[in-house]
Amino acid sequence: MADILTLPQEARSRIAVELEKHREPKMPTHRKKYKRDRHKRVKLAFFRYCYYDPAFKFFAEQVLDVDYLTLPEATRRTTEIGEQNSTDYVCTPFKHILGDYVEALEAGADILVQFGGPCRLGYYGELQEAILRDMGYQFDMLNFSRGIEEGAIGWTKQCLKLVNPDINIPHAVRQLAATANMAVKLDEARDFYLANAGFERERGAFKRAWASYEDALRAATCDRDINEAFRAAMDAMRAIPLDKPADPVRIGVVGEMFTAIDERSNLNLDEKLMGMGVEVHRMMNLTNRYVRYNEPNLRRGAADYLTYDMGPTSTLTVVAARKYAQEGFDGVVHAKSAGCTPEIDCMPVLQQVSADFSMPILYLTYDSQTSDTGLDTRLEAFYDMLSMKKEKTK
Amino acid sequence: MTQGYLGIDIGSISTKGVVIDENRNIIARSYLWTEGNPTEASRNVVRELEQQVEGTGVQIVGAGTTGSARRLVGAMLGASVIKNEITAHAVGTTYLHPDVRTILEIGGQDSKIICVSGGIAVDYAMNTLCAAGTGSFLSSQAHRLGVEVEEFGDIALTSKRPANIAARCTVFAESDLVHKIQVGYAREDIIAGLCNAVASNYLNNVGKGKKIEAPVVFQGGVSKNAGVVHAFEEQLGMPVAVDPDGHLMGAFGAALLAADAGPITNAESGPFASGTFDFEALLDFDFKTREVECGKCANHCEIICVYRDKDIIDSWGNRCDRGAVRTTA
Repeated sequence: MADILTLPQEARSRIAVELEKHREPKMPTHRKKYKRDRHKRVKLAFFRYCYYDPAFKFFAEQVLDVDYLTLPEATRRTTEIGEQNSTDYVCTPFKHILGDYVEALEAGADILVQFGGPCRLGYYGELQEAILRDMGYQFDMLNFSRGIEEGAIGWTKQCLKLVNPDINIPHAVRQLAATANMAVKLDEARDFYLANAGFERERGAFKRAWASYEDALRAATCDRDINEAFRAAMDAMRAIPLDKPADPVRIGVVGEMFTAIDERSNLNLDEKLMGMGVEVHRMMNLTNRYVRYNEPNLRRGAADYLTYDMGPTSTLTVVAARKYAQEGFDGVVHAKSAGCTPEIDCMPVLQQVSADFSMPILYLTYDSQTSDTGLDTRLEAFYDMLSMKKEKTK
Repeated sequence: MTQGYLGIDIGSISTKGVVIDENRNIIARSYLWTEGNPTEASRNVVRELEQQVEGTGVQIVGAGTTGSARRLVGAMLGASVIKNEITAHAVGTTYLHPDVRTILEIGGQDSKIICVSGGIAVDYAMNTLCAAGTGSFLSSQAHRLGVEVEEFGDIALTSKRPANIAARCTVFAESDLVHKIQVGYAREDIIAGLCNAVASNYLNNVGKGKKIEAPVVFQGGVSKNAGVVHAFEEQLGMPVAVDPDGHLMGAFGAALLAADAGPITNAESGPFASGTFDFEALLDFDFKTREVECGKCANHCEIICVYRDKDIIDSWGNRCDRGAVRTTA
């Protein structure tokens, strides 16, 4: 104040005027909070793998937050394209997957996804990418073999860099857990399906129930949707009337990840067995191989047959076969693709299991053949043998 | 009048047929080359059987088919049982030899092993990717050597020092064989070597991992080859029995299964329309197979339709109901 008093009169009045000049009153406004759209409009496609398509879709839409391209059912053309562009001696899943990729790219996919794998599968992504680029396609490839040395961090980096830089990480982590839950719920429902669909009174009832289950899962956006869909599907399948004998022929399917499960690769093995009236069991699935996989402890359970881990699915194959033998199954079907070394290594062990428990094992080797007459003959003979044996030893 | 049953085994190389009576004895036999025409071959087999049965008072009231053309000929005959050859062989052999433990079988294009315990089949294996060491391989090599395949066995038994021939694969075996011919090996040594190769190839491929226990029965067309029988006996170190009807076991098994199924009573058309087998009904008609490509989705299933004259009597090959073909007879 003292300074003002020392100023000349004129200046003092000016200052006073300036002091009177009020700032505009600040009105309370609701500023619209801008939320960044994290969704990225690129089309991501997986290869076709068994019944897991809803889980892949969920992963693409909820975790990576991109568009998902659902492929139509595979046809003979798919296999033909895959075969034409693969080397002859590569294992069969490679050919099927390559065919899928070509069809996905034709349908407009921008990004293809390939998993890493514990066997040759680990190299497939690189090779398939090179082949597709040579064929002239342009795309990005999310290959989980890359970044594997850093584990989850490496994969996250891959996803952010290649697919969508705006992924909401905490949300994605939650949805990743839901994806795993979806795989578990798919497998659980499938176990019930395999054990009972062979005895349905009305043909096709289980297939219908399964189709609506897949539809519900395809529409799911969170964990709760998945659990609800699962409950509804299980209710629907349990309500299907069955003509199941007290002691049906039970067959366990063991083998390599792709061929033992994937219907296209094994020429509808499950349906063929169920069509003859067989209760089918299969331990091999994503739940048991990835979500709940503990190899050393699993191997411990079959320590009389296994000392070392022999490869990607060998432990599960042998443990499953032994479990089925102990539980008094009538037989086991071992399915592998031609040239699958880890599963070839399993065969002597399986022969030992077969001899120890006097339970027959049918060994099937698949290539990309389309004629399934030979398979029908072998399965029919296997079933006849098991059911005749069952009848006579009653 | 007594009831009889017809069993036909239509293989890739030969077609076999038997008729059994009420007591399940074989009363008529036939064995002819298929020559790439399964319908004609089975018609000829049925004709031969018909002639043998004539006058015995046996009426054929049921039929079973097996072998790789079982579906086609089954549709043609209106058979009540259409069974795979593994089951048929197991049923036939265990009926004739209830104490058998191992059945070795080598046919024209396939080979199999069936392990039996207590009169029932408990395990089996069939050749998978390769037809090495089957009958057709032997007959093509016989042609190369300028001998009849029927003489093969007797020539092989005269050999003192069988040649060592690579047994893993037909291609290797053949090039090894050509080499040994050109080097100047005696013909009987080469033939004996070939018989040994067939036996060891079989034991290493089909018989791999299977416990072969006595008594062993060897059957299928190749069992008529004494050289291969001898090779098996040496390599297994146990006697190998060959039934005189060993080549007919599939047909016999099919007939037994048809007898289990009982007489055909509800046939609307075909040879069994009158309740008993009418051979004329088979002659009157022309049987044709046509492949139709289903265009109802992108899979393009090959649907096989069997025609009797203009009527479709059976079809298969469709993956879904969209491709189902209505039978018109």
